[in-house]
Amino acid sequence: MIRYALTRLVLLLVGLVVASVLIFLTLRVLPGDVAQMVAGVGSTPEQVAAVRARLGMDRPLFVQYVEWIAGIFRGDLGTSLLTGTPVTTELAEKAQVTVPLGIMSLLIALLFSLPLGVASALRRGRADGTLITVAAQAVAAVPVVWAGMMLVVVFAVWLGWLPAQGFPRAGWDDPAAALRSLLLPAVTIGIVEGAMLLRFVRSATLQAVGQDYVRTAAAKGLTRTQAMLRHGLPNVGLSVITVLGLQVAGIIVGAVVIEQLFSLPGIGRMLVTDVGARDLPKVQGELLVLTGFVLLVGFLVDLFHRVIDPRQREAE
Amino acid sequence: MLRRTALTAAALLATGALLLTSCSADPAPSPTTSAVADADASVALRLVSEPGNLDIRETAGAALDQLLIDNVYQGLVSRTAEQDIVPALASDFEVSPDGLTYTFTLREGVLFHDGQPLTPQDVVWSLTQVKDTASYRDSARLAGVTGIAADGQDITLTLAEPDSSLLWNLTGRAGLILKEGDTTDRKIAANGTGPFTLESWKQGDSVTLQRFGDYWGDPAGVAEVVFAYIPETQAALNAALAGEVDVVTGFDANLTEQIEAGAEFAVEVGASTDKGTLAMNSTTGPLADVEVRQAIRQAIDHDAIVEALGVGQTQYGPIPELDPGYEGLSDVVPFDPEAARELLAEAGEEDLELTLTIPSFYGTTVTQILVSNLNDVGVTLHVDQVEFSSWLNDVYTNHDYELSFVLHTEARDFENWADPDYYFGYDNAEVQELFAQSLAATDEAEAAELLAQAARIVSEDHAADWLYNGESVVAVGASISGMPTVNVNERLNLAELTKSEG
Repeated sequence: MIRYALTRLVLLLVGLVVASVLIFLTLRVLPGDVAQMVAGVGSTPEQVAAVRARLGMDRPLFVQYVEWIAGIFRGDLGTSLLTGTPVTTELAEKAQVTVPLGIMSLLIALLFSLPLGVASALRRGRADGTLITVAAQAVAAVPVVWAGMMLVVVFAVWLGWLPAQGFPRAGWDDPAAALRSLLLPAVTIGIVEGAMLLRFVRSATLQAVGQDYVRTAAAKGLTRTQAMLRHGLPNVGLSVITVLGLQVAGIIVGAVVIEQLFSLPGIGRMLVTDVGARDLPKVQGELLVLTGFVLLVGFLVDLFHRVIDPRQREAE
Repeated sequence: MLRRTALTAAALLATGALLLTSCSADPAPSPTTSAVADADASVALRLVSEPGNLDIRETAGAALDQLLIDNVYQGLVSRTAEQDIVPALASDFEVSPDGLTYTFTLREGVLFHDGQPLTPQDVVWSLTQVKDTASYRDSARLAGVTGIAADGQDITLTLAEPDSSLLWNLTGRAGLILKEGDTTDRKIAANGTGPFTLESWKQGDSVTLQRFGDYWGDPAGVAEVVFAYIPETQAALNAALAGEVDVVTGFDANLTEQIEAGAEFAVEVGASTDKGTLAMNSTTGPLADVEVRQAIRQAIDHDAIVEALGVGQTQYGPIPELDPGYEGLSDVVPFDPEAARELLAEAGEEDLELTLTIPSFYGTTVTQILVSNLNDVGVTLHVDQVEFSSWLNDVYTNHDYELSFVLHTEARDFENWADPDYYFGYDNAEVQELFAQSLAATDEAEAAELLAQAARIVSEDHAADWLYNGESVVAVGASISGMPTVNVNERLNLAELTKSEG
């Protein structure tokens, strides 16, 4: 087990290094000149050259990369070219929006996908089971943007129950207002991600229904549903945990889109703005943290899976 | 995760929104006419683009001018919405008949936001800093000033040669007065003399201004103004409909019915100096031929563009109506596809293919019309939508383009046509000479007349095409008064903004 964890950890670190190189190089081949963006319209070539030197962008790429990585070991993700604030500070501030948004989205997704997914599997062939499946298929195909806009039109514009956009200026000092402003965006991501999850829960349940141990339990006098609930569901849970790791990446992508739509000052919106402004130190810091987060979730899911599933340990 | 194209989403949304708005038939209560202004009010304004940082001396972009000039920072002189030059920190000013000496009388009792008094030495220091620091924005605009001195409350600027643009330049960034020895971090904070203090900046979200209690002039009409940066058009409309913003600037005129039907908003349209400029690179390639350039201009249906945008007017030369030197130049290039075809044939360009490089945030309304209009006369137009940073690099810096579209918002920017190094690449000695004479003129009318002559030549040379002169479109909530509507893309003086109770 420990050997497995260590191997997995090394893989995680290798993944991070590869990601850091890719992020660094990809950003360097983007069209557009950072120094020109910083100097702005109306600047002279001399002003642009001065900016380039000030930002250290006239040095070899390798040197710039090594400095970036060395900075990370000192806990320094770099400094924004435009605002001059440390990337870590801005990330921490924007995470106060994005992290709760992600957690709420995930909870909402789980809240309806688990019961409905199991129910639709157990009611396969019946009208209500089919209805859930078809509805989930339809919802999963809805673009996040459109779902968000419709929710805003109904709940913010039409009914006036929830804010249409923005995050309270007081932030989490006013938790109720903060939660209210995150509710519509979280529901938007949650239902689209949840609909996908539902289909997965359904197929995992169906698979479990066909297993020998469920059949044996049923033969001993349990109803199919009882057998499923007692013996089948723990196995479904295992598969779902694996998929949840992937779901986290989907939620991050959803946040990039949804934060734009709802004008939420989170990491996703910051990323879009910074790419447009070619604020490279910020973009590479943000991307590395996001990549690291997704890799870490994958790592934890794998470990967790191994801890609770004896079959995997025995296979070693 | 976008499963379908944005187009489908937009179409579905539009249908959905229309259905829903038609359902909500509650009549809006009529606004009270005898509303009393609420001195403690907070007003939220939607703006499109947020400044990268708040350093007014070093950072480019109209977003910073909108936010800070007049509201937080002030100069000796300022400009009204009608573009007249008026005293600000100077109570009075005088220009000598020879145009070489400018004398300003500095107001007494002016305080900076940190409580320090404004001194004549601050003025001398501020202007000298801008003049002497090449990396400051608009530093070159004070290049002609040879002396900056204070005598009591009088500040005197001396010039070697007259400069008819100096006063105007002093109303902009070059003329802003800061405190000498100030240690404020200008990137994230501000210390000015204006009616509002900069209270907070939540990056990626909003900037909050608060009324400055010790302001030298009439106090601001509201206690607080929040600049909410909402780039998305739909999100801005939703925010207005849900009552989360009181004013929407940069409003899409085509959504007027939606906002006026769903909420207590009135869409107001004001003149602006926005020039939708189709730059033509006349230094190389087919566009070096004046006949080709004229053909392109005559092929474009300018009225159709204005109609599609829902606001604005046609403009056939480099100077818009708000600026000195404007004259109607529609006679230079009447819309005439037949004439365009003949010109192209004469130039031997029957199968012309051209590329239009356009920053992606301008949308597709204008380009669709251009593609279709040019196609009518046998020109194939390829549209290359690029990010602004790419545009800045390729078009603006390297002049590597054939056709380009940018909305130039600055007032009084004719100088770019007298500068062959600008990305327009337009090089005409006569225009440069007329512009120089206009700067040297000591009489306003004469300066304007010289500009008009130069502008006519630029248009007759078909140095570019001006697709439209934009207008400021602002959706204003019923409880709001005193919202500026003229040229708000460039400046936004909010001192007289008020919000009524209820």
